[in-house]
Amino acid sequence: MTTSEPLLEARDLRKTFGGLTAVDDVSFTVDRGTIVGLIGPNGAGKSTTFNLVTGFYDLDDGEVRLRGENVADLSPEERSQKGMVRTFQITRELTGMKVRENMHLGGQDHDGEKVLHALTGAPSAREREKELEARAEDLLETLGLWELRDEYAGNLSGGQRKLLELGRALMTDPDVLMLDEPMAGVNPRLTEDLLSMIRDLRDDGMTFLIVEHDVEMIMSLCDKVIGMHNGEVLTAGPPEKVQDDDRLLEAYFGGEV
Amino acid sequence: MAGLDPQFIWFGIVSGSLIALGALGLTLIFGILDFINIAYGEYMALGAFVAFSLNVEFGLPLFVGAIVGALVVGPVAIALDKAVFQHFRNRSAIVLLVVSIGLSFVLRNVIRIVWGSGSKRFDVPIEEAPTYFGVRILADQVGIVVLSLCVLGGTYLLLRRTDVGIAMRAASDDTDLARLRGIDTERLVLYVWLIGGVIAGTAGVMLGLDAQLRPTMGFTALIPIFAAVILGGIGDPVGAVVGGYAIGILQEASVVVIPSEYKPLIGLILLVVGLLTRPDGLFGEATR
Amino acid sequence: MGYASLVVTVAIIAGIYSLLAIGMNMHWGDTGLLNFAHAAFFAIGAYTSAILTTTGGEGLLASRVVGFEFPVVVGLVGGSVLAALAGVVIAVTSVRLEGDYLAMVTLSSAEMIRLGIKNEAWLTSGAQGIKNIPRPMADAFPLQLGSVTVGYDLFYLGFLLVIVAASYLAFTRLSESPFGRVLHAIREDEDVPRALGKHTDVFKLKSFGLGAGVAGLAGALWAHFFFAINPSMFLPGLTFTIWAAVIIGGAGNYLGAIAGTLFVVLTRQVTRFIPGDIPMSSELPFIRLIVIGIALIAILYYRPAGLLGDEERLVAGQMEAE
Ligand SMILES: Nc1ncnc2c1ncn2[C@@H]1O[C@H](COP(=O)(O)OP(=O)(O)O)[C@@H](O)[C@H]1O
Ligand SMILES: [Mg+2]
Repeated sequence: MTTSEPLLEARDLRKTFGGLTAVDDVSFTVDRGTIVGLIGPNGAGKSTTFNLVTGFYDLDDGEVRLRGENVADLSPEERSQKGMVRTFQITRELTGMKVRENMHLGGQDHDGEKVLHALTGAPSAREREKELEARAEDLLETLGLWELRDEYAGNLSGGQRKLLELGRALMTDPDVLMLDEPMAGVNPRLTEDLLSMIRDLRDDGMTFLIVEHDVEMIMSLCDKVIGMHNGEVLTAGPPEKVQDDDRLLEAYFGGEV
Repeated sequence: MAGLDPQFIWFGIVSGSLIALGALGLTLIFGILDFINIAYGEYMALGAFVAFSLNVEFGLPLFVGAIVGALVVGPVAIALDKAVFQHFRNRSAIVLLVVSIGLSFVLRNVIRIVWGSGSKRFDVPIEEAPTYFGVRILADQVGIVVLSLCVLGGTYLLLRRTDVGIAMRAASDDTDLARLRGIDTERLVLYVWLIGGVIAGTAGVMLGLDAQLRPTMGFTALIPIFAAVILGGIGDPVGAVVGGYAIGILQEASVVVIPSEYKPLIGLILLVVGLLTRPDGLFGEATR
Repeated sequence: MGYASLVVTVAIIAGIYSLLAIGMNMHWGDTGLLNFAHAAFFAIGAYTSAILTTTGGEGLLASRVVGFEFPVVVGLVGGSVLAALAGVVIAVTSVRLEGDYLAMVTLSSAEMIRLGIKNEAWLTSGAQGIKNIPRPMADAFPLQLGSVTVGYDLFYLGFLLVIVAASYLAFTRLSESPFGRVLHAIREDEDVPRALGKHTDVFKLKSFGLGAGVAGLAGALWAHFFFAINPSMFLPGLTFTIWAAVIIGGAGNYLGAIAGTLFVVLTRQVTRFIPGDIPMSSELPFIRLIVIGIALIAILYYRPAGLLGDEERLVAGQMEAE
C-alpha cells in the first residue's frame, strides 16, 4: 500500500431530507495514523456525514473510499468489518445487556457466534471468548468502568454510557474509529486520560475521525481539522490554520443564530 | 383467459365495501393510538351479534338492529379503552398489540358465552337474485354497498369539516406535534374510539349480512383489512378505503386466474408487496 | 386410573406446547422478532411428518396421492427441517420490517399456509385431515416390567420429556452463547450490532429458522401421538396461546416460557378434571380462555417481565439516554 493514499476518503457526499440539504458536496480525506477532527455548529451536518460514511444513511450522491476501495454500496456491517467502526452521538448502548456483554459484542471473527460452535462449545469459541475477556478487562479498567462490569448498561450515567460505547468500539480493533461527540457528558477528570489514550492508540497506528463540540480540545488533539457549516466543508487543514479561519468563526459565533 | 365477468366486479365491489369499511375504522384507531388492535375483529363481531339479538330474538327489523348494533360498539370501545388500553398508554406498540390479543380472547369468548359458538343468520327474506345486465345482484348486497358508501362519505365529511375531525387528522399525522399545538389528545382518543367503534360495528353487521355470524367472523376478516390499512398508509382514511376496494375487486377478479379458494392470497401478496415497496402507503404521506 | 391417564395426556400436551414456547422465546424473548406464524410452523412439522410416515391413496375419499411410509424418525427430522426452512423463507421476505408490520405479515403468511394445507388434498387430504399416523414403537407397549405395566402414553411422555429437556438445554446454551449475545443486541437496538460488523439479517434468519424448527418438531410429535391431524388444529388462536404463555412466563427466560406454558395448558385442560355437572359447565371452555386473556393483560400491567422474567433487565432496558 502506498503511503500517500488516504485511509478514508469522502468524495462529494450529498444528502437531502425533503427540501433540506443536510450534506452538500462534502469531500475530505483522513490519512492513516492521524486524528482528524470534524467541527461545526449544531446542524452543520456532522452526524449526517458520519451516517453517510458508515452506511447508516444511503447516499444521494458521492463516494466513500476506504483504502482506495469504493464502499458506498456496502452495508454498515460490511463497512464495519472492513475496519471502519463508529459510535453514535446519542448513545446507543444496549441498555438491557450488562456492561461486559456490551464489550464482548465488539469482538470480531468470533466462532461462538456460529450456531454449531455455540451449541458444541467449540474450543476455538471458548478461546476467543477468553481473549475478549482479557481485552475487555483492560479497556474497562482504563475507562473506569471495571467496577460496573456486571451492571446493566441502562443503569449507567450518560457519561459512562459514552465511555462504554467507546470501549465497545475499541473492542473491534478498528483501523479507523469514528467518534460522534465522545466526550459529551464525560467526567472532566477522565477526559484528559481519554485524550492521552486516543493519542497512544494513534501512535500505535489507529486512525480517528472525531466530531466534538469543544473546539479547544479538538484543536489540541487533532492533526487535521475539518470545519463544516450548513452542510458544506468551509475549511480543512492543520488546527492552527483552521483556528484562524474567519468563515468558521463567523459560523460559530456570528451571523445566523 | 376468459374475459373478466362483470359478475366478479360486482362481487368485488361488495367485498371491497366490507373491507373498506373495516379498514376505515381500524386506520383511524391505528393512526391516533399507534398500535394494531387485534381485538378490532371482536368489535366487529359484537356489532353483528347485538344486531342479531334485536333482529332475531326480539323480532325487530334488521335496520333497527343494525343501527343499534353499530352504535353500541362505540361506547363499548370507549369503555374498553378506559378499562384496559388507557393503562398501557406509555408502553410500546408491541405491548399494546399483545394486550389487544388478551382482550380479543376475552371478548370472543364472552360472545361465545352469550350467543353460543354456532353460526347464525339474520332474519332477512331469502329472495331470488334479480339480474341486471347479466349481473346477479342481491338486495343484501346493494344494502351493503349503499350503507358502506354512506358511512364512508359521512366519515369523510366528519374528518374534513368538523373541528374534531380536523384535529384527528392532525394528531394522526403526528401525535406529539398535535399535543404541542394544544390539542387535547386524550379527548381525541375518546372520539376516535367512538367513531372507530361505530364503524367497526357497522362493518360487523355488514359482514354478517354478507355471510353468517360466527364469534370468529371479525378475526377472520382482519387480514384483508390489515392489508387495506397498510396499502393505504396507516392513519390515512382515504387510502384505507381505496386500498379496501382495490383488494376486494382484485380478490374477486383473481378467480379468473387462480382457484377461488386462494382468493385471500391476493390480500396477503398485496400486504407483503405493499410493506416491502411502499412502507408509507399508496399515497406516501402516512406517519411511518 | 382414569385420572392418571388424563394427567399423562395433559402432560404430553404441555410438553409439546413447551417446545412451541421455546421456539417462540428464541424469536421474541431473545431476538425481539414478532412471529405470529407459529401455528403454521407447527402445522408444517405435523403434516410433513405425517406425510412422510403414512401411505398415500388411503382413506375414505382416497384423495391423497403422496405418502412415503418412512420410519417415524425420518418424519420428525423432516418435519423440523421443513418448518425451519419455512421460517427462513418467511423471514427472508420480512425480517427487515418494523416490529408490528412483521406481526401482520407473519400472521397472514400463516393463514396462507393453512389455506394451502386445507386445499391441496392430493398432498394433505384437505379438510378431512390425515389419519392413522403411526406411533413410534407402539408394538412394544404395554410393557410389563416386573409387576409394573408401562402404558404407551407414559412411554411417550418420557420420550417427549427427553426431547423437551434437550431442547431446553440447547436453546438456553445458545441464548447464553456469543450467538445469543448478538440476538440480544438485535432485540435491544439493531443498529448497534450492525455498527460492530454483525450481519444482523443473517442472525435474524437463523433465529427464525431455529425457533420454527423446534415448533415443527413439536408438530411432528403432536401428529405421532394423536394419530390424526386436520387443518382446524392450526388456527391463529394457537399462536396467540403460545404468545400468552411466553409473556406470562417471562420473555427471554426459557424456564419462564415453560412455566407460562404449564399455566396456560393447565388452565385450558383443567375442565377435563372437573365433573360435568357443576354449574356453567358448558361455558367452562370459554371461561378458561377468558382467564388466559385476563391473565395476559394483568401480567403485562403488574409484572411486565412475566413470572420468571428479569425485571431488572426490563427496567434497565427502558432507561433511554437523553
Ligand atoms: N433523519 C433525518 N431526517 C431529517 N432531517 C435530518 C435527519 N438527520 C439530520 N437531519 C437534519 O440535517 C441537518 C444536519 O444534522 P446533523 O448532521 O445531525 O448535524 P450536526 O451533527 O452537525 O449537529 C439538521 O438540520 C438536521 O435537522
Ligand atoms: Mg451531531
